[in-house]
Order: sequence, then C-alpha cells, then structure tokens
Amino acid sequence: MKAKLLSYTPLAPLKEATGVLDARILLPHLGYTFAVERISRACSHQLVRHRVASFSQQSQRYITVRRLQERVVTPPSVEKAGGDEFKELVKEAGEAYQRLVDRGVPKEDARFVLPNAAETSLLMTMDGRSLLHFLGLRLCNRAQWEIRALADEMLGEARKAEPEVFNAAGPYCYQLGYCPEGRFTCGRMREAVDRYKA
Amino acid sequence: MRIELVAHTPDLEALVAVSMLTTTSGAQPSTLHERLLANPERIHDVVSRLEVQHGNVLEHNRLVWLVEATGDEVLDVMLDTRVLLFTRLDGGRWLMSGNLRAIAEYAEQKDTEFARGLVDSVKDAAPTIHASLRRRTG
Repeated sequence: MKAKLLSYTPLAPLKEATGVLDARILLPHLGYTFAVERISRACSHQLVRHRVASFSQQSQRYITVRRLQERVVTPPSVEKAGGDEFKELVKEAGEAYQRLVDRGVPKEDARFVLPNAAETSLLMTMDGRSLLHFLGLRLCNRAQWEIRALADEMLGEARKAEPEVFNAAGPYCYQLGYCPEGRFTCGRMREAVDRYKA
Repeated sequence: MRIELVAHTPDLEALVAVSMLTTTSGAQPSTLHERLLANPERIHDVVSRLEVQHGNVLEHNRLVWLVEATGDEVLDVMLDTRVLLFTRLDGGRWLMSGNLRAIAEYAEQKDTEFARGLVDSVKDAAPTIHASLRRRTG
C-alpha cells in the first residue's frame, strides 16, 4: 500500500490574497489529491463512502487482471491463521477469471469471480475540511486496519506539505481533546494522542 | 461581479490526464503522474481527447477566486449551482472555490458574463480545457 500526495492547493498564496490568517476558514477551499495505490477492493469500498471526495479508480472493465495471486491484499489475521484456504481460493478465482476471459467473456463480467482482496489503485481528491474529518474517523483505533494504515500514510504526506494545518490532524480524540466514540471508546486515548503528537 | 483567480492546484491538466489514464491503465497513478510531468506534450494529447461529459476526471483539482459582488448576485450563483463554495470575507468581498467540473457544467448551463469570466479565468491554469470549453460554450 502507498499513499502519495500528488498535488494540493497551497495555503500561503490564499492567505496573502485574502488577508485571512485563520487557516480553518480557508480549509474548505483547499484541495488535496492523493494517489492511493495497491489497496484491496474491500478498502476502496470503505473509501468511497466519503461522498464529498472525488475518485478515479482503476477499472476492472478495462484492465485485465493478471497474476491475481501476486495482486491481492492478505489481512494479517489471515496470514497468522496460516492462510492456506485463502491462497487456494485466490488461486482458483484467478484461474476461473482467466478461463472466462479466454472463452470470450467480457472482462466486465469475468471480474464477478474476483475477491474483495484484489488490489486496486485510485486517485482521490478531498477538500481540506473533509480531509480532516476523514483522518479524524479513519485514524481512530476502532477503524479497520487497512484504511487506518492508509489514513496514517495520508497524514504523513499532508503534514509534510502543510504542517500548519495538518499537525493538528489525527484521530478525533487527538483533534478534539476527548473521545467522541461514547460507549464504543477504545479506552486508549492517551496512547493515541501521544502517537500523533506533532 | 468581478472575479479573480487567486490560487489553484498546480499542474492541473497533468492531474486531469492522470485521472483519465488511471481508469484504463494498469500503471500506478503516481507513476503516470511522474511520466506525464516529464512530458507536457503528452498531457496536452491526453487532455485534448477528453469528452467533457465524462466530468469526474475534472474533479481532481481546486480553484479559488476572489469575488466582488452583492449578496443577491452571489445568491443567484448559489441557487444555480451547488458545487461552488462561498465564504464571505467582508462587505462585498467573497472567497469562491470549485473544480473544473463545476466551471464546465456552469458554463454549459448559463450564458452570462459571470460564466464567461469563470471560463476565461482558467486560461493559464488549464489552457487545453479552456480552449475546449470556449469551443463548446461559444
């Protein structure tokens, strides 16, 4: 998995042009475009729930999936449990896909046998306020491991680009100073806050 | 209404091209981006093929304008499009932002001085797309 900030609307010229010094006011007007690479389709399904973002994703209608076994994301829990069934099913799915394509089935139909573990890459653009919200939710200890790892990479990129804005970014407990998860709290707020301290 | 483009995503057309190629290419988006930045002619070639109705590839950018306008003028624009964002700065000064798709769709719907001003404001930031929008909107 990799997240790279390809481009963003810089804050400095906007401050200069408007005379507005509070970055929070300008945040909704700033755009951040990331290349998100080699995540699972399961993870991309979670990503697109952030409806205010824009996405351009590799299309399985047009791109032929080759060597599926080398292009899947394997959860650590599956690895830990041995992972033989998982590997076997991925192998069978890859072979079935190839047989269907060889028989002339369009890629857009053959892909129905592909697993959620299949890798995908995409371009994702968010405004600054939505990005802070995304990081607040997805860096939380309660977030699923893959999207949390992705959010971690994105935070690193954003902090390098605009530390003034994103040093304050992190899971919501870090941003707010309290945990908004109520009875679902992980109970490890101090640890999370220390981890993201800029 | 007076508008002035004050900030935008750099290398804007390169991102449009990356977006177009990502959906159909097996290459990683960051690799496509590096290759395209090294080859401006290729960016122009790819973006020239863009059909504007495939608007989502025009969303990977943000443009920000300073607008001088009355509250009623801004309200008219806000009622016409929900995808341009406004912040009131002071008196008749506003900050407005959106992406190229917002501009393209607005210019297709509205034949106003404001719409033409929006399109012309991206001439330097996105010359190929500007030329295409000018052809379509007259």
